[in-house]
Amino acid sequence: MSTLEIKDLHVEVSDEESQKTKEILKGVNLTMSTGEIHAIMGPNGTGKSTLSQTIMGQPAYHVTQGDILLDGESILDMPVDERARRGLFLAMQYPAEIQGVTNAEFLRAAINARRADDDQISVMAFLKELDKNLALLDMNESMTERYLNEGFSGGEKKRNEILQLLMIKPKFALLDEIDSGLDIDALKVVSKGVNSMRGDNFGSLIITHYQRLLNYIVPDVVHVMMGGKIVKTGDADLAKTLEKEGYAGLRDDLGIDVALVDED
Amino acid sequence: MNAVESTETLNAALVAGATEHRDPDWLVAQRTAALAQIDQLRVPKFHRFIYRDWNLLDHRLLWQASDPALAADIAQATDHGQLIQVGQTTVAVNLPQALQAQGVILTDLFTALTQYPELTKPYLNQIIPATEDKLAAYHVAYLNSGIFLYVPQNVVIDQPIEAHIVQDSTQDGPQVSHVLIVADRGSQFAFTQHLTTQGTRANLANNVVEIVANDNSRIKFASVDELGRDTLTYFNRRALVKHNAEVDWAVGLMNLGDTLGQFDTDLVGEGAQTDTKVVAITSQAQREGINTRITNRGKHTVGNILQRGVLLGTSELVFNGIGDIIHGAAGANAEQENRLLMMTPGTHGDANPILLIDENDVIAGHAASVGQVDQQQLYYLMSRGIDRKTAERLVIRGFLSAVLSAIPSKNVQQQLIKTIERNLQNG
Repeated sequence: MSTLEIKDLHVEVSDEESQKTKEILKGVNLTMSTGEIHAIMGPNGTGKSTLSQTIMGQPAYHVTQGDILLDGESILDMPVDERARRGLFLAMQYPAEIQGVTNAEFLRAAINARRADDDQISVMAFLKELDKNLALLDMNESMTERYLNEGFSGGEKKRNEILQLLMIKPKFALLDEIDSGLDIDALKVVSKGVNSMRGDNFGSLIITHYQRLLNYIVPDVVHVMMGGKIVKTGDADLAKTLEKEGYAGLRDDLGIDVALVDED
Repeated sequence: MNAVESTETLNAALVAGATEHRDPDWLVAQRTAALAQIDQLRVPKFHRFIYRDWNLLDHRLLWQASDPALAADIAQATDHGQLIQVGQTTVAVNLPQALQAQGVILTDLFTALTQYPELTKPYLNQIIPATEDKLAAYHVAYLNSGIFLYVPQNVVIDQPIEAHIVQDSTQDGPQVSHVLIVADRGSQFAFTQHLTTQGTRANLANNVVEIVANDNSRIKFASVDELGRDTLTYFNRRALVKHNAEVDWAVGLMNLGDTLGQFDTDLVGEGAQTDTKVVAITSQAQREGINTRITNRGKHTVGNILQRGVLLGTSELVFNGIGDIIHGAAGANAEQENRLLMMTPGTHGDANPILLIDENDVIAGHAASVGQVDQQQLYYLMSRGIDRKTAERLVIRGFLSAVLSAIPSKNVQQQLIKTIERNLQNG
């Protein structure tokens, strides 16, 4: 079993134009283990994506206080690629497009990055795994020879993120708004992919606005984030309550003093 | 020694050298005429690239034998045309019987000048005349090695004709080499050359390619240029493209030393076409200036330039794309795209589209960019566990792919990818 611990995490970002820094996360605490699915919900602009990017190591986010521990070891000083090889994966909201590098070539490079030089994956084993996962995600084989995310529709990009998840098999997957821009059929396919990973050696932190995704990937734990902190934690029912009452209701119940971006 | 004596001395030495080599009289005359002009002519202009301190003249006409063993790692071809040259020494000429029977000629240049004057004299140094600039004149005067390829009328060759040219820097002396390709009407073939250096002496390479593409011929020219760090290089490659003929260029500039390159296509015939693709990687403190020019003279001529360059270390790379549409070239089409990717902050890159259009009825377009490597792309790749070096290589390969994927010969493509990987590691 692996654990991911986030302790009193404070994070700021600097705006390139104004040169000003702004604190986004103001003391986040969260512990999860493999075998568990956690969901983080919260209104826009509350720091959900900041949390996932900070865990992955995006250089624009600066940790000013607190720590992130993977199996008890701090990862704050590790570069992005090392965090990934230790078992973290971030399905991104806006995946980069890379011309001239095929999906298949990229997937092999990612898998081989985790293996020793004398133990690289064989072409046969790779293709077998690829075909299996393509079928699971209802993806066309031609996707693998296309350039990485180049010219992909929003839905294709999300599926491609999940394909990578299935191929790379991380310990912890952070899914950042994997449901945004997906129609209901695509949402089901993506959920099927994530659910197929469920097991003792896999944990996931799912970031979403909407409860809808959680009908398909039922979480063990639901956290609500507001104003850069986790303000409430519960089970799958918490998501349903939120869907009914909205974030403003919860905020007022808890007596938290934050402005919601979309509130008039 | 005053200037007059010096010129006379040089002339006497040049004539002595050429005579010793038994050059035909017409060539000796070309040499001495060119020598007389070197001082008056200017060096070619490379927009935004200064090379005043480069010594691109080495006034020695030396005849040197090279050790064939320097080409020992080049596999001899049996199923396609191939010529291997080390310095001035031709190590092997392999031309399948079927091609010989069709009248294809592949031989070292000086043999061709004596044996086939009717096929060489009308063209040699005519596409790039000595009067054009100082370096062209130098080339004509001090020419010391080369290759001749002739493909007769309507002959179609499936497999590329290969030239391996090894610049011999195990000894001192300039390489002044000339590849002359004459494509007769309706012929079709590919010519690929691979230039490498053996040895580490500081030498000059002045390499010219002239292609005559007669009516309705189709030629694909590819070159992987891999000259060594201690070689100062001047390339001048030009095609004269006649009625409905096509010459496509794929150039992989992977030299490690300072390099000047001029790649020109003169679309003289109606409906003549070219597709010119150049990839370059510069590294360390290397400096490289490239002029890629297409001149549309004939009506309905089509010329495309696509150039991609990657800069490493503290290198400098300048891509000038020159589209010259002459008055009367109605219906001409000229497109160009020049892009540079700077991998490190200390590099200096410049991509300049230069359009000289003297005709109204044309379609012309250009795009140019000089940029840093995209950090979002690197982050994305690294977030999948790929280390920074590999991620950079993937991004670079992707950036160059627009040119790489268009290279017709799989062998050349593989060779180029291998060389790119090596250069990136050295970078």
